[in-house]
Amino acid sequence: MSFGFILRRLGGAIPLLLGISLILFTIIHLAPGGPLDMYTDNPAVSQEALDQIARAYGLDQPVPVQYFLWLKAMVVGDWGYSIRTGRPVLTEIALRLGPTLQLGGLALLVSLCVAIPLGVLSASRRGSALDNGLTLASFTGISVPVFWLALLLQLLFSVQLGWLPSAGYQSIGDGSFLDRLSHIVMPAAVLSLATIASWSRFIRSGMVDVLNQDYVRTAYAKGRGEPGVLLFHALRNAMIPAVTVIAVDFGTVISGAVITETVFAWPGIGRLFMESMDGRDYPMLMGLMMMGSVGIILANIVADLAYAALDPRIRYG
Amino acid sequence: MTFKPTRRSVLQGMLAGSAAFAVMGAFPAFAQQKGGKLTVGLTYEIDTMNVYSTGFLGDAQAAVVEGLLAPDPHAKYVPVLATEVPTLENGGIVVSEGGKTMKITYKLRPGVKWHDGAPFTSADVKYTWEAVKDPAFIAESKDGSSEVESIDTPDDLTVVVNYNTILPTFASTLFTFGILPKHLLEGTDLNTSPYNETPVGTGPFKVTEFVRGQYVVTERFDDYWRKADNGDQLPYLDGIIFKMIPDTNTLITQLKSGEVQLVVQTPYNQAAQVEGIDGIEMIKGPLLSWQHLDFNFKRPSLADINVRKAIASAIDRSILIKAQGGFPEAIKSPVVPVFDFYAADTPETPYDVEAAKKLLDDAGYKPGGDGIREKDGERLSYTFMVQAGRADDELAQQVIIAQLKAIGIEATADNKTGVAYREARYKGGYDLIYGRWITSADPVYSVFWGTGGANNGQSYSNPALDAAFGKFENTLDPAARKEAAAEFQKILAEDLPTISLTTNVALIAKTKKLKNFVPNPTNMTNFINSSPWYLE
Repeated sequence: MSFGFILRRLGGAIPLLLGISLILFTIIHLAPGGPLDMYTDNPAVSQEALDQIARAYGLDQPVPVQYFLWLKAMVVGDWGYSIRTGRPVLTEIALRLGPTLQLGGLALLVSLCVAIPLGVLSASRRGSALDNGLTLASFTGISVPVFWLALLLQLLFSVQLGWLPSAGYQSIGDGSFLDRLSHIVMPAAVLSLATIASWSRFIRSGMVDVLNQDYVRTAYAKGRGEPGVLLFHALRNAMIPAVTVIAVDFGTVISGAVITETVFAWPGIGRLFMESMDGRDYPMLMGLMMMGSVGIILANIVADLAYAALDPRIRYG
Repeated sequence: MTFKPTRRSVLQGMLAGSAAFAVMGAFPAFAQQKGGKLTVGLTYEIDTMNVYSTGFLGDAQAAVVEGLLAPDPHAKYVPVLATEVPTLENGGIVVSEGGKTMKITYKLRPGVKWHDGAPFTSADVKYTWEAVKDPAFIAESKDGSSEVESIDTPDDLTVVVNYNTILPTFASTLFTFGILPKHLLEGTDLNTSPYNETPVGTGPFKVTEFVRGQYVVTERFDDYWRKADNGDQLPYLDGIIFKMIPDTNTLITQLKSGEVQLVVQTPYNQAAQVEGIDGIEMIKGPLLSWQHLDFNFKRPSLADINVRKAIASAIDRSILIKAQGGFPEAIKSPVVPVFDFYAADTPETPYDVEAAKKLLDDAGYKPGGDGIREKDGERLSYTFMVQAGRADDELAQQVIIAQLKAIGIEATADNKTGVAYREARYKGGYDLIYGRWITSADPVYSVFWGTGGANNGQSYSNPALDAAFGKFENTLDPAARKEAAAEFQKILAEDLPTISLTTNVALIAKTKKLKNFVPNPTNMTNFINSSPWYLE
């Protein structure tokens, strides 16, 4: 692994992003509907008004021209203006990035802290009642719809018990650490549940593979106790297959947790994405999707680096 | 409600609820209590606080920014920042000698202050027109700005608006929307102004905080011009907080947990849940929106009045209403009954399947082998369009398809969304189309069924109807307008280019503690009347 490797990977991402942008732009414009659709029910909005808005946002140009104008602006760091709010796309994204990173970050942290021990425990007690129980729990976790779980939690903790606010980022006029914490608990729990369930499965299967290896037997033969073998000999190697999945999930955090953010009225990227989809806000959608793509590409580069760190035999030249 | 009226669509209609203007005196003086903050849950995101720019309802904006006039629950205009509604009788409207142009004089309310303490004057009104008509300003609505030739401001409290035409709908446009503060905005770019976040108005509440995607906080404006009949300084509430909660399930949860106290748009399918919540009551408010089935006259059989009549007879509105939770109400005229212009004696086509069949039989449409009628080689088989993805509309479509089948008419769903739907609707890319319109408090119907009307994708043309519309839309005389309205309602009911089916209602869920709340036909304008509201 070298600095050159990172540079090469970043360089390789440029044509990739260009390709992605072309595909995204085409798909958005092929989809039925357009940014002016919010006026369709309204006979009073004159054609002149629609034309003026279309002109102002370049929507009257042919799609290829729109793409090249967009690309040109993008290269110089101008992400355009949201058609819905009239504000710069970058400003809107910047506003929503903080809440998303907080929610996603906390959910990832919780997921890691819970999924790794569960996966290890499950693998080390393979076939036991505990393993079977955890397997059942993870499949339940993967299968439960997010909105349904969210609704249950809201009814229990907000309506019945009155312990937590049911939605929002902070209370109005408060916003202290504790207040924000009380708001983030439920969405983070919901968001991490599915990740915990899937990650723990990956870690478990990685561990099961590794536990059959000779060096693990050797470690036991040398008299090392089980916790030591699991944590210091097995886990590190077992993490390699799981890292890809975890890295991709890290990437998607940047593009936001669409359903969770909508259900909990969390003012993050995911909800911004929903609103923009709803309003066919082309500049906003392109900005968000490009940012998501960059996030996933970066996460993959980090995953590659993590491989090398985990297994010194993997080297990138 | 599943439809999402745009701010313009409703504000266009702007039936500002000035019910309270009338109702105020009816409440005993001791009942009102000062103080308390009301938390409102909105299912849409507030995109901007500028009333001229937003594409959505103006709930939050209406509590902050005022216009010269506002329509009341009966679609009648009452003065707000003006002292009276200009009419021909009071001399506020003067028609030029040739009858081609008009001049409207507004007398402004003295002593009104902007939220920053500056006095409100005629210069603000003139500036509003200049700012809105400015081509550089990207507005969702510039209605009524191009018809104004010039504005004179002989003194601080007098505005003379010179129109280049006769515009009976002057009240539903420009100055009713809201007045912009000249002293703060002149010379700035309205597209990017901070005004769009924290507008300065003359309304009962001032914006103290707007956090995108989260909430708008407003606080009582202590220097508000209006006083209650008992002399109390209004508003009673300390403030109104508008929270944006996109998920309706969550919104209902927030009502249950007491985190929000007022929801102005409860979805029909969640009404039953809301009714079970302690301390919350549900109000059904009328809306100026109605559902209708329209015909494309390019199809020879649909240009035949017998077929249209048969279809009208075949539709059982009660099933349509049931399919939508029982909330819409049956109508026979596109003029929603809340209007004065509604003619109660408009003829009606009753539901009668046998009569429908007989009409078709008599007109020579005989059932073919598959039961579908035909005549001169034309089968009564139609493409039927609603806006794709609208569950309520798709459900209604299925009901109508079944009802038409009962009389030997085949309809096949051909639904489109977005631009494709809009194009089909305006250019007649359908045989039958079901949807809804919403009108302003000063409705203009010629756009729908007038020859060449902007929204007449049906290719319908009827000189008698055009004449009635012409009378209705080009006179300022209320009696003559009412007469013309009755005439066009009768023609529409008899010639049936459209079948008016049902109206919509707004389901308003509110805490029982909120008093003096009067529902308004437009969701947005519930908040124009917020100054007399109080919490018990």
